[in-house]
Amino acid sequence: MIVAIAAFAPLITLIGALTTGLLGKKLKEPWAGIIASSAVGLAFVLACLAFIGLTQTDSVRVPLWSYLQAGGFNLSLGFVLDRLSVLMMLIITGVGLLIHVYSLGYMHGDVNFSRYFAYLNLFVTAMLILVLADSYLLTFVGWEGVGVCSYLLIGFWYGERVNANAARKAFIVNRVGDVGFLLAMFTCVLAFGTLNIAEVGEAAQGLESGSTILTVIGLFFLLAAAGKSAQLPLQVWLPDAMAGPTPVSALIHAATMVTAGVYLVARSGALFAQTPQASAAVAWVGAFTAIIAAATAFTQTDIKKILAYSTVSQLGYMFVGVGVGAYWAGMFHVFTHAFFKALLFLAAGSVIHAMHEEQDVRNMGGLAKHLPITHITALVAVLAISGVPFLAGFFSKDAILASAFNSQLVAGYGSHLLYLVLLGGAVMTAFYMFRWYYLVFQGKERFGIEIRQKLHESPRVMTLPLVILAVMSVLAGYFGLPEFMFTNRFELWLAPVTETTASFAHPPLLVEWILMSLSVMASFGGLGYAYWVYALKAGEPAERWAQTLGQFTKFADEAFGFDQLYARLLTRPAERLAAASSTSDKVVVDGGIRSSLTSVGVLSRVFSVFQSGFVRAYALAILSGVALLIVVVLVAGGGQ
Amino acid sequence: MSLLLIVLPLVTSLMLWLPMDVLAKRIIAIIGSSLTFIAALVLPASGLDVRWLPGLEAYFSIDSSGAARTLILVAALMVIPTVVIAGQVLERHKGTFLALLLLMQASLNGLFLAKDLVLYYIFWEATLIPSIIMLGVWGGEKRREAALKYLIYAVTSSFLMLIAILALRPLSGAASYRLADLLVATPQLALSVQISLFLGFAVAFAVKVPLMPLHMWLPDFHEQNHPSGVADVAGTLYKVGAWGFFAWALPLLPAAAASLSPLMMTLAALTALYAAVIATAQTNLKRFLAYASLSHMGIAGVGVFALNATGLSGAMYLIAAQMASTGGLFLIAGMLYARRQSFEMDDYGGLAKSAPTLAAISMFVLFASIGVPGLSNFPGEFMSLMGAYQAFPVLGVVATLAVIAAGVYGVNMFQRIYQGQETTPVNDVSLFEVLVLVPVIGGILWLGIAPSPQLAQIDAQARFSAQRPSVPVHGEVVPNDEMLPDASPDGLPEDMPEPVPDEDIRERMPDTLASTSESNLQTLVGGN
Amino acid sequence: MVPTEYYVALSAIIFTIGALGVLTRRSAIMIFLSVELMLNAANLALVAYARQWSAAGADVALSGQAAVFIILAIAAAEVAVGLGILVAIFRYRTSSDVDGLAQVRL
Repeated sequence: MIVAIAAFAPLITLIGALTTGLLGKKLKEPWAGIIASSAVGLAFVLACLAFIGLTQTDSVRVPLWSYLQAGGFNLSLGFVLDRLSVLMMLIITGVGLLIHVYSLGYMHGDVNFSRYFAYLNLFVTAMLILVLADSYLLTFVGWEGVGVCSYLLIGFWYGERVNANAARKAFIVNRVGDVGFLLAMFTCVLAFGTLNIAEVGEAAQGLESGSTILTVIGLFFLLAAAGKSAQLPLQVWLPDAMAGPTPVSALIHAATMVTAGVYLVARSGALFAQTPQASAAVAWVGAFTAIIAAATAFTQTDIKKILAYSTVSQLGYMFVGVGVGAYWAGMFHVFTHAFFKALLFLAAGSVIHAMHEEQDVRNMGGLAKHLPITHITALVAVLAISGVPFLAGFFSKDAILASAFNSQLVAGYGSHLLYLVLLGGAVMTAFYMFRWYYLVFQGKERFGIEIRQKLHESPRVMTLPLVILAVMSVLAGYFGLPEFMFTNRFELWLAPVTETTASFAHPPLLVEWILMSLSVMASFGGLGYAYWVYALKAGEPAERWAQTLGQFTKFADEAFGFDQLYARLLTRPAERLAAASSTSDKVVVDGGIRSSLTSVGVLSRVFSVFQSGFVRAYALAILSGVALLIVVVLVAGGGQ
Repeated sequence: MSLLLIVLPLVTSLMLWLPMDVLAKRIIAIIGSSLTFIAALVLPASGLDVRWLPGLEAYFSIDSSGAARTLILVAALMVIPTVVIAGQVLERHKGTFLALLLLMQASLNGLFLAKDLVLYYIFWEATLIPSIIMLGVWGGEKRREAALKYLIYAVTSSFLMLIAILALRPLSGAASYRLADLLVATPQLALSVQISLFLGFAVAFAVKVPLMPLHMWLPDFHEQNHPSGVADVAGTLYKVGAWGFFAWALPLLPAAAASLSPLMMTLAALTALYAAVIATAQTNLKRFLAYASLSHMGIAGVGVFALNATGLSGAMYLIAAQMASTGGLFLIAGMLYARRQSFEMDDYGGLAKSAPTLAAISMFVLFASIGVPGLSNFPGEFMSLMGAYQAFPVLGVVATLAVIAAGVYGVNMFQRIYQGQETTPVNDVSLFEVLVLVPVIGGILWLGIAPSPQLAQIDAQARFSAQRPSVPVHGEVVPNDEMLPDASPDGLPEDMPEPVPDEDIRERMPDTLASTSESNLQTLVGGN
Repeated sequence: MVPTEYYVALSAIIFTIGALGVLTRRSAIMIFLSVELMLNAANLALVAYARQWSAAGADVALSGQAAVFIILAIAAAEVAVGLGILVAIFRYRTSSDVDGLAQVRL
């Protein structure tokens, strides 16, 4: 019962969104934020209650109402509160609450204060629907809902064309993924006649492992997940999405929405575990994305874009986790990443706030002494994401690496190679994160005296969330300690949901230890090297490489040319096609019709000659016609 | 009782011709349209079957069960704001316009309710007259050309349908033009005969769906209609082509429908994608909306030609839903025009700043229109595409790609008008405009959140249409060339078994369709 | 009894006069009168045949006379409407010349 009440959480945040949205500017500044924050806070309390309740039971179903019915196909909406969905609820509402509070300070003075919080609450609503859904269709409702909210929030400052374009791009790329989702659902119905997630999972278990239909469904879901989670080949939207307000980037484009793809695969674990092909595709997409995004992050200069590419890269890790069948490990990384990546973004927001909208790291440096709290919390997050032992990121990343190494599910698709790629990625992660940290907080101050005078630590309403997130970035990892030494509470917690047919080898203890020490070495190697490059040599080696590699650097800097490629291959041809068909629709199709219209016109002119308007001519015509008829009848012999 | 759905708007329309002042006319029109809506909402499904034109064997046979109820209900909902706005914004002949609008609604309701083919044809043509006059009298600069084009498309295609209708009864030997009687008789037609008759229907319906390449009247029709968008709403109400296929062509000529469905579905899938792509390149707001709406109709088309219950229900639901969403967008376009006297999207920009509420409402309706889940168009779109995918996966995928293009044109339009550099500020929505849009918003939410009750109504009819192709042919199929010359006076070859109501088929007909049969649909579907 | 042929011949003559009148006269009034002649010629033929049938004892005997009454009624209605239009045209154009009306066509 206590669990089922949590199903009201989306309703509460929806009410929050409607209140703040409809009252709009009538609400004085802090009130919209306070209403929105308390809505999310209430939802968080409900999630906590559900969490406590779920220690007693595995899952609770909350039926809503019947939605579709046609022929033999019926679909009722419903929420399922199980350990996976409640975990996601905790992340969404917990991190969401902190970010709402932070926004109170960050958005201070914005003319559209209420609108911002309305969108934010709406987003939380959609995200909760996404994770609570018991059918793919309802998941899709949340799935598109978060896409819409993301569109609204990226384009929050729509006055600038760039922001509006970024929002547009995010929406359209997400729609490509949505088509994948739709097709996956259609195929599910075709194959199993249902969209209920649990039923699809059961039906998939009944099929032979590796059936084509499962692989097809899996690949469509992969397309959907890649769109939402910014994976290859649909990763292009996320860096641009940084145009939105920074807390939005923290909540939507780091902690919650972008992990929806990972959630989707984990939720469909029963299906994916039956299709090694699709699982391997998921894992390899993740691995490639992890590497490519990390390489791009090396040369970025925008404080938020570095973090954006880092997010894409970390999402790649999560994809590998769920791809190799370690659904709990993928979700574990979602869990820890939510804290330290949200923290990084909020810290970046704090910096941007202090620097008066300056976002270029080349104009920063030495901020540690001006922003002490921001600095310390950011440092914790950097160490956590780099995989320094005993911080959250270490445990979750290591879990993914070990699972990739041991996976039986994708054993035939280069699981060891996956491991090596990820290990390389770990070095890169540590390197670019240290670079980010050093360029922002350490070294020489590269800004003018004016900015320096105005530098100030952010208000407490902003630093408090930073501190809480920093604490969580340390502690979150201890829920999922390595299995071979301790009890892994995280895995046990999720076991009722994520236990599937995917299995893992259990190598000797020594191998486990070697794997772990390799991770540690990767982390310290990356950090140490970056320290050498940026702290000791002041970035000079990096410039040297950039010159040696020349074109390649430029290529990597432009995110490996995906944007240009898509522009050349898809966007521009599509635009030309649209313009051409628009013209041809007028000229050819309409022209053809028009010429037939003209021939009608000619005919009408011929016939209108007879319509002379002279009444007596008509009479003559009638008379002669009648006479003619009589003659015909007489000649033909009449009716006899 | 279902007769009330025709009589109410008709009587209101006739009252509006009486001499009285404009305000009184407006009030009468609002009351009339509201009563019609209430009637559509509360009246239970019922039928009426009266002998009408004895020589022709046509009956005045109507029935308000099934998909018709949903369509009539949503149309009635949309007529109310349209009447209110039309009474406000038109420059001249307000009373006449309102009368035409309600006349249109009356004939539209008749069209949906008709269960007799001749009656159906009469209502089909009757909808044409008000819409032509609305375009020709209140339209824009090139209204004559647009009206002529529309007229030629409509009349030519209807003429082919008339021929098919006139040929249908003699050829099949049905006892009357009532649907129930025709259903018994038509499966016995030879395939080649069915195909020729089906093509006659198909052209008429394809013009009004509209399907490529018979769609060119649509952009001009919408572009030239009165800038307030009120006549365009009427236009979105009678996207009746898909209804024609659903309610008449498919059940009557199942074999032809089955054999032509790949072709028709290809056309529909291409229409969906092609129109959506073209919509991305439009700069005129009304043409943009016309193409967007054309794309929705393509999606409804693939649902219809999937020939399964899912697709058919989805298509009908989509048609109902787009009345609210596309209609709403036309009304909003009219409001924008009232502010800036232009439909060129380039003349706008950054309006969200000065008119945030209008922007929010536009975005809401726009998202409904591009099929965001939880709003009106999604359930129908989803089921249409799903049905299509089940029938022909490749075509289903092609039509589904339109979803991407819909995203593109949707945000393009919003960006051009509401985002970017602010142009001259405009007034935000007035209270009047908000009130007028309330039914639209309510309808969108209602259709999007709880589609189940309406879908349940549509479902029975959709299942019936979907299982028609599998109805076994009774009696031997007589080849076409033997059939025509030796036809006995009532069009039946002597050697053919008399197609009097066959108990076997009667039993399998739902009571909604066969008024003489007591058995219900459940036994029908269970029986197959 | 006068043979039916006589009546028919008379009817044909009157009809021809009427037809020639329609073709040759330009005044709308005269055309109108000529049309009346033609109608009455037809009536004459109808009653003549009706009489012949009734003498032969056929059961269609009275249909001819019924038709005459219908024609009379229609002719009366036609006069009412037609003269109304004529008067209107005459007021407008101060002439009843039908050829001049040719310009009224679209």
